[in-house]
Amino acid sequence: MFRRSLYAIVTGIVACSLFVGGLAEWQDSGTEEGRRYAGYEQRIPVVSVCCIVAAVGVICLGWYQMRLAGTVTSIAKLVQDNKASDIDADRGFFAPLRMATIDELYKAVDEHFAGCTARTAEYEKQIKDLQLQIQLSQRRGKNTEAIIYSIRDAVIVIDESDRLLMANDAAGRLFNFDFKNSQHKPVSELIGPEQSEFVDFLSHSRQSKGRATRKDIEFLEEGTPKTFDCIVSCVYYQGQQVCGAVAVLHDITREKQIQLMKNDFVSHVSHELKTPLASITAYTEMLADGEADDEETRKEFYSVIQSQAQRLNRLIEDILNTSRIESGLIKVNKEPASLTMLVEEQLQMIRSYAEEKNVEVIGQKPIVFDQVYVDKDMIREVIVNLLSNAVKYTPSGGSVKIEIEVDEVATLARVSITDTGVGIPEDEIEHVFDKFYRVVANEKQAKGTGLGLNLVKQIVEKVHDGKVFVTSQVGIGSTFGFELPLATRQAA
Amino acid sequence: MAGKRVLVVDDEIHIVHVVAIKLRNNGYEVLSADNGAEAFELACNERPDIIVTDYQMPVMTGLELLEKLRQRQETKDIPVIMLTARSFAISKEQQEDLRISGCLSKPFSPKELLGNIEDVLYQKQVMVSN
Repeated sequence: MFRRSLYAIVTGIVACSLFVGGLAEWQDSGTEEGRRYAGYEQRIPVVSVCCIVAAVGVICLGWYQMRLAGTVTSIAKLVQDNKASDIDADRGFFAPLRMATIDELYKAVDEHFAGCTARTAEYEKQIKDLQLQIQLSQRRGKNTEAIIYSIRDAVIVIDESDRLLMANDAAGRLFNFDFKNSQHKPVSELIGPEQSEFVDFLSHSRQSKGRATRKDIEFLEEGTPKTFDCIVSCVYYQGQQVCGAVAVLHDITREKQIQLMKNDFVSHVSHELKTPLASITAYTEMLADGEADDEETRKEFYSVIQSQAQRLNRLIEDILNTSRIESGLIKVNKEPASLTMLVEEQLQMIRSYAEEKNVEVIGQKPIVFDQVYVDKDMIREVIVNLLSNAVKYTPSGGSVKIEIEVDEVATLARVSITDTGVGIPEDEIEHVFDKFYRVVANEKQAKGTGLGLNLVKQIVEKVHDGKVFVTSQVGIGSTFGFELPLATRQAA
Repeated sequence: MAGKRVLVVDDEIHIVHVVAIKLRNNGYEVLSADNGAEAFELACNERPDIIVTDYQMPVMTGLELLEKLRQRQETKDIPVIMLTARSFAISKEQQEDLRISGCLSKPFSPKELLGNIEDVLYQKQVMVSN
């Protein structure tokens, strides 16, 4: 409004000045109309009016220019100070006195824009840095996902409210949920009541803020009881604040079973070692105390001590051989040998034991060609193990039959030992060659370490590229045997 | 203690043999069995003064034999000494519950076994006379 009024005043003054000046000039031009309309005596007032109007105009223009310069100076200063919003506040009476030029304004605006450009560049750099950090974070997230998904153990990640954030396929299978449809749901809803011990452990571990809490938990997986080694680690955010937890469940069922089998093995082995040792100790003491009255009794005692020492040695050899074969450290001396001959040797050894138990041993008719390329001592070990087992588990009055067959087409020899013993339950047959395994139903029938049949399997399959086999019926009997390549195949 | 009858039970024939010789040399009458079931029948029929049995045997273990003996009126008071290759196999509670008179770990000394048998029979004799 002020600006418009100022324009009108200045324009009026200038127009009046021009009109009066023109009128005076016209009167002064000496034309007939000038002399007629204006007397010479009227020229002085016209000039005076013109001078006054011109002076007022100059003053107004000067005042306006000062106002304008003051405003420009203020703008320049405010631009420099980045306080454009304070422009109105700086319009005082003396503002016009702070003179500035358009150059200064230009310079200030230029500097301002230079500052803006620098800040923009800085902001752009910060944006790039943030974008890089986002990419890095996303990559880390993908790496974490890949790690979690590649782990065979079940992995579950929860937030601070025990809701599911991440889970791999193994966890989905174990707890029977689909991760895509389960994300952000409480784990207590996803995991069934039969596995509630894990949910409680997970929640408790998160609340306790432990770095790595560990517990063995047993629960059913597809109806089978399993043991899991559960480790829960809290996820920390800004110091001690826990924002979730990661749980890893490692299936240790097999390790537990092996541990139990090992304990059982140690128990069995110590018993087996102590039994011959007990005989040796007792008979030695009797001899030392002169309890054997006559030479015949003394000879009998010596014989018992000797046989028990041999038994002890065989047992130790069995343990060592199993260990050596497994570790690949055993020395193998293969040479051509007749299977019939090897079987005959062992039959002689087992007959006294069979007679003692009243078990008939039916031998094998000689076969023309049954040469195999084997380590004789090892195959003797195999035959004696199978024969002694057959006699051991056959009740008095039963029989043990040994057969040898030669399959010329398949170029292999097959030894089968059939007994009329107690037999093996169907569900246990597949385990009889496992190390330390003993058929539960037959444990009371005879003592053993659970090493013999495993040693047979190792010698036949690992050392001689053969194959062991077993068939059995409870109450009727069992057939154990092995196949070995004929020496002709080995030579070829 | 001469003339007392001892039932020796073990599936190891050599152990039974050596214990029997030691006991016979010291005036005892010896009965023997190679498993728990056979021993139970002998114990019921022959009423031995004391039983020396192995812990781990086929058919019926030493512990199962003892449980059965304690359930029968005619055998419930027969003292029993247990031989075992697993010294930790029998707990103190089991020893007390089944009234096991003594446990000897294998390998054992026949002399020590004889001493234990004599102690147990002496204590039994004292209790009866009181």
